[in-house]
Amino acid sequence: MFSSEKFTPYRLVGLAVLVELGFVIIPLVIGFWYSVNRVQFFQIRGFTGLENYWRVLNSPSVANALTVTIAFSVISLFLTFVIGFGLAMWLERSNRLNGVMQAVVLIPYMIAMLVGSMLLKWVFSKESGLSDLALAPMGMGDVSILANPDSAMAALVYNAVWRDSAFAMIMLLAGLKSIPAHLQMAARVDGASAWYRFRRITLPLLQVPIFITVVRLFIHLVNTLTYPLILTGGGPGTSTETVVLKMYRLGFNDNVLGQANALAIMVFIVNIALVALLLRLFKKAGKIQ
Amino acid sequence: MNRNPYMRLALRRAALRTVVNTVIVLFALAPIAWGVVSSLKPANQILEVPPRFIPQDVTLEHYERVIGDKGLLFLGNSALVSAITIVFALTIGSIAAYAIARYEFSGRRILMIFTIGVMSIPIASLLIPTFTLLSVVGLINTHVGLILLYTAYQLPIVIWMLYGYFLSLPIEVEQAARIDGHTALGTLRRVVLPLSKPALVAAALFVLVFSWNDFVVAVTMTSSESVRTFPVAVYFYLGFYGREWGPLLASAVISIIPITAIFIILQRYFISGLTGGGVKG
Repeated sequence: MFSSEKFTPYRLVGLAVLVELGFVIIPLVIGFWYSVNRVQFFQIRGFTGLENYWRVLNSPSVANALTVTIAFSVISLFLTFVIGFGLAMWLERSNRLNGVMQAVVLIPYMIAMLVGSMLLKWVFSKESGLSDLALAPMGMGDVSILANPDSAMAALVYNAVWRDSAFAMIMLLAGLKSIPAHLQMAARVDGASAWYRFRRITLPLLQVPIFITVVRLFIHLVNTLTYPLILTGGGPGTSTETVVLKMYRLGFNDNVLGQANALAIMVFIVNIALVALLLRLFKKAGKIQ
Repeated sequence: MNRNPYMRLALRRAALRTVVNTVIVLFALAPIAWGVVSSLKPANQILEVPPRFIPQDVTLEHYERVIGDKGLLFLGNSALVSAITIVFALTIGSIAAYAIARYEFSGRRILMIFTIGVMSIPIASLLIPTFTLLSVVGLINTHVGLILLYTAYQLPIVIWMLYGYFLSLPIEVEQAARIDGHTALGTLRRVVLPLSKPALVAAALFVLVFSWNDFVVAVTMTSSESVRTFPVAVYFYLGFYGREWGPLLASAVISIIPITAIFIILQRYFISGLTGGGVKG
């Protein structure tokens, strides 16, 4: 509107652009620069081109982390989405009780991830005695959940589902609210069953919100660091060591910053691809004008 | 028993509703409740087998220990960092959002795309280079460094939420203010922001939840106790107390209480912000 003031908008966005430039763009440039150099204890020891990338790509532990991440994110994505969708449908009607229930579901989401994972660590740990209590009737009283690769992975997935279904629920609830009520009503009058209405009205009109939810959840899950760092420590062994946890350890425990940054840049590229997909969806939803 | 078939159906529905809702509440809150219960037990009863769901004796000894062990300092640090981050992010964010909502300029689209991009990219992939940057410019291990990082990470979501809200405001009032001689910033401060309270509360709540809860950035960028925020302290208790679950769980509960209280009071704002579609969505 106020188009006569040619420089005003640039002055207004200036500070924000500066902050993003300083703390998002410059770190990326530094990260990229480190990734193509040999780095020892924060000292650059010479240009190496793509050697760090090559090393990372050929490292068996990174390959393992990749497998772990894919398994974890796909299973968690599926369960989180299904449960979130179920919750959204169940708590869709606005009334007092549903409002309270939504708040309850959201509590695991808004407490610190670290704290949530720690509480679950206590639940799953052998010492709390809960697992013995639950598993003893099945003759598995001696099993320690976090000490076995498969059940540790299950615990990790549980952590994601426990916290993140709330996110899926809220995103989908917003989508459900945007479906005009008269469509459902009309179908009801015509005698359409609940299942038919779900398949023919809810699902098609919810397509874009569903995609946006799935992509945002997936981005969150492939970048998981806190869950494995706190709950399983990546173990037993490296059976729950995700890519970002591997990156974290390469950088802060093994001090191979070149390789850590190479991995970070690759993770970043995957993120960019996912975000590009998300942007297309946002555009489809008419949110960018 | 009741022989009216409609009544029976209604009763069956009510029963189903109660059962499902109970399962949901248990799923969401049982781990937290179990942490609270355990944190209130005396040290020698925490590891009791089989575990008691209602503690035999209730004690606050673990809470006293956490608070006595510099807990208040860490809580204060968290509160300070969160408060300043909120001020920074909302000030810078509202000005930028206003420009994007009300001006047509080249670069506007790129700015919006960048905003959504940064909003969606998890910070983890930036951790290591950011650590390098802060070390070089001397902001590592300082509150200022942490505040600036949090501001940079939360600005996009703040801009996005406020932008959506500003668009929904009637433009005529602003035009009148401009004719009365107010500058762009004056109009924003005197006319637009007073009308935008719900969006500002939602954005502030978002920034608060992020900066109060953040552990990954803080644990990477700070090392000394004087700047340590509470979640990092919780993480250190995990290592420090080792197998002593009492103080560990007490610190977890202390971290949960303030944020949960604020969330319950301002819940509807949080939900509208989460969908990323502005407050009206």
